[in-house]
Amino acid sequence: MELWNHCENPYPFVPNEVLEEAESVRASLPNRYCDPRIVARLYDEVFDEYRLCDDLGLHIVTNEHHAGINNLWAANPVITGVVANITKKARILSLGTLITVRPDPVRIAEEYATIDILSKGRLEIGFVKSGATEMVSGDANPMRIREREWEAIDLIEKTLTTQDGPFSWEGKFFTHPHVNIWPRPYQQPRPDFWAATSDLPTCAELGRRGMVNTLLFGGYDRTRQAFDAYKKARAEAGLPPPGEDRFSYMAFAYVGDTDEEGLRIGQKIAWFLTVSIKSAPQFSKFQPGAVAPEMAPAAWRTGAARRPRPTNLDAEVLVGQGQMFAGNPDTVARQIKEFRTRVGGICHIIMMTRQGLVTHAEAEASFTRAARDVLPQLRDLPPVDGDETAWLARREAAAE
Amino acid sequence: MTSGRLQIGPAELEVLRRPSTRPGAPTLLLLHGINNISPAAPFLDLLAAHGEVVAPSHPGFGKSPGPGDRDTMYDLVHLYRGVLDALPAEKVTLIGFSFGGWIAAELAAGGHPKLARLVLVDSFGIKLGGREERDFPHLFNTNPAELTRRAWHDPANCPPGSYGIGWHTAIGDAMSDEEMVVLARNWDSLCLYAWRPHLYNPQLGHWLHRIDVPTLVLWGAGDRIVTPDYGRAYAGLIPAAQFEAIEAAGHHPELERPQAFVDAVVRFLGKDAGKAASP
Repeated sequence: MELWNHCENPYPFVPNEVLEEAESVRASLPNRYCDPRIVARLYDEVFDEYRLCDDLGLHIVTNEHHAGINNLWAANPVITGVVANITKKARILSLGTLITVRPDPVRIAEEYATIDILSKGRLEIGFVKSGATEMVSGDANPMRIREREWEAIDLIEKTLTTQDGPFSWEGKFFTHPHVNIWPRPYQQPRPDFWAATSDLPTCAELGRRGMVNTLLFGGYDRTRQAFDAYKKARAEAGLPPPGEDRFSYMAFAYVGDTDEEGLRIGQKIAWFLTVSIKSAPQFSKFQPGAVAPEMAPAAWRTGAARRPRPTNLDAEVLVGQGQMFAGNPDTVARQIKEFRTRVGGICHIIMMTRQGLVTHAEAEASFTRAARDVLPQLRDLPPVDGDETAWLARREAAAE
Repeated sequence: MTSGRLQIGPAELEVLRRPSTRPGAPTLLLLHGINNISPAAPFLDLLAAHGEVVAPSHPGFGKSPGPGDRDTMYDLVHLYRGVLDALPAEKVTLIGFSFGGWIAAELAAGGHPKLARLVLVDSFGIKLGGREERDFPHLFNTNPAELTRRAWHDPANCPPGSYGIGWHTAIGDAMSDEEMVVLARNWDSLCLYAWRPHLYNPQLGHWLHRIDVPTLVLWGAGDRIVTPDYGRAYAGLIPAAQFEAIEAAGHHPELERPQAFVDAVVRFLGKDAGKAASP
C-alpha cells in the first residue's frame, strides 16, 4: 500500500462571529477577511510538510477550491508545479484543477505536461467533477457537468498523447482547431489518470478506462459499492480484473503516539465538516442539477444538502464509519488494513491530516509516525480478492 | 382549459389551450417565464375571453421532454418559429413573460409573417448597464429569500398553484411532490438556457429596431428583479413600442394583478396597428 498526504491548506482564522453571520463561507465571503501575510506563512508551512513527506516516503496530493476558507490552493497547477520543484521522489497527484470550470482543456494539458517535465515523470493527473460553490466562483454552468467533464478528459488525453498534430477538436462543450502542445509529457504515453467519484455509473466508466478510482470519505459501504461497480464494468467489458493500485480512498487521519492523542488531535480536523462547508441554499440544494428532479421532493422537504455528509462529528464515530483513521500507529495500521479488507482491496490511502485546527507541528509529527511506524505494516499484504471470478460469483450469489 | 401536445420537428411540447368563445378572436401565443403556466392561473380565464390562448411549455419545462442538444436560445427561437408556422391562425399576438419575453423579443427581431403584435412582460434579454453594473440579480446565485423580496409587490398575491421567482421559499407541506418535480425540471432547464450570459444576449439590443409590429412593453411597477427603468429602456429600442406599468405588481403582474394585466393587454389589442406606435 501507499500513503499520501492531502492538505487543502484551509484558513481557520476568520472570526467566528463573521462566519456565523455569513450565509456561506465559500464563494461569497469577502476576501478582506483573508490576510495574505497569514497565507504566506501557511504556504511555507505546508510546503515544508511536503518536503518532509518526500523525505519520509509519503506521496503528495494537491487540489483546488475557490473563494473560501476551506482551501487556499486556488491555482492548482501553480501549486503542483512548486511541489514538483521542491520534491525529489514523491509521486504527486493533482486532484485536480477544476476541468468543468476551466474553459480550455488544452491549456490544462499544457500545464500538466509542464509539471510532468518539472517533476521528471512523477505526476499523476486527477479529475473531479466539482459543483456547488465552485460553479459560482468560476461562472460555470452547473448543468451537464458530467458530460462536460468527460469531454474535457477526452480532449486532455488526446492532447497529451498526440505526437503527430496539430489536430482539431469541435465538441459539444469545447472547440480548439489547432492542438499541438510543446512540451509533451515526460511519462509516455501520458501520466496515469485518477478521478474522485462515488457515482456508480461514473465508477463503471473509470473501470472500463482503467483510471484510478478514489473515494472521498465514503465509508465502508459506499466505497465497496463504488469499487464493485468498477470491477463489474471491467468484467462485463471482457477486461482483465483491476489491480488494487486502481483503488484509492481519502480519509481524515491522525497518527498519534497514543490512541488518546490520535483521537484528540483528530477531533480538530472536524472543523472541515462543522465550519468550512457552510453554504447558502442557492449554492447547494437549490443549485440546478444538484439533485435529479424526481429526487427533489425528498431533498427539499428534508433540507438535505446536495450530498449527504456525516452528522455525528465525534472522532471515534468517524473512525467507526471508516471516515477517519486515528490512534497510535498500530491502531491506524489495523484500521487501514480492516478498511482494505472490507472494501475488497485498495492500494492508496490519502490522509487528510493538516486540516481544520491541526497545527504544522502536529501534522509533521503525524506524517513522521505514519511513514516510520504505519507504512511498514502495510507493505506486502496478501491479496484480498485475487480471484475475480470467485468474487463475481459471490456477489451474484449475495444478490440472489 | 385543455391541454395537449404539439410536435415541432423532433421537439414535443406540452401545450395549454383555451379556445376563445368570441368568433374571430385573435390567437395569443404565450411564452412563459421561469416556470410553466399553471392551468389554474386566474389570468388565463380572463385572457381567454378576448383571444384563443396557446401556452406551450418550453423543452424541459412543465411536462415537455428535455431539449437534448437543442439547449440554447438559438434553438428556442427556431422552435417557436416552428410553433408559429404550425398554428392555424394567419396572425398571432405573441406575449412573452420574463424569460419568455426574451425569447419573444429574439423571435420578433428576426421577424415572422404571422406575427401581428408583441407584448413583453417584465422581460429579460438585453444588456443595458455598464460592465460592472448588473441589470438584474443572478437568479441562481442569489438567496431565494432575497429573490422573493425583489420579485413581488406582495408574495401573498401569488395565486395557488402558480410559482414565480423565489418559488423556493414556498416549499412546504402545501406543495405536492409533483409540483416540486416540475419546479426542479424548470429550474434545471432555465439554467441550461440562461446561465451565461445570464438571461441576456449581448447582441440583441442592436437588433430590436428590426421589430416591426406594434409592441406593448408591460411592467410591474414594483418589479425589483428587472426594474421598470429597464423596461422603459427596452421599449425605447423598439420602434413601435409603448411602455405601461401596472401598479401594485412586481415581476409577475399577470399573477399579482390578473385583471389589470388583462385590461392592459386588451386595450393594446383594441388599438389599430398605426395608433399603437407611441414610444
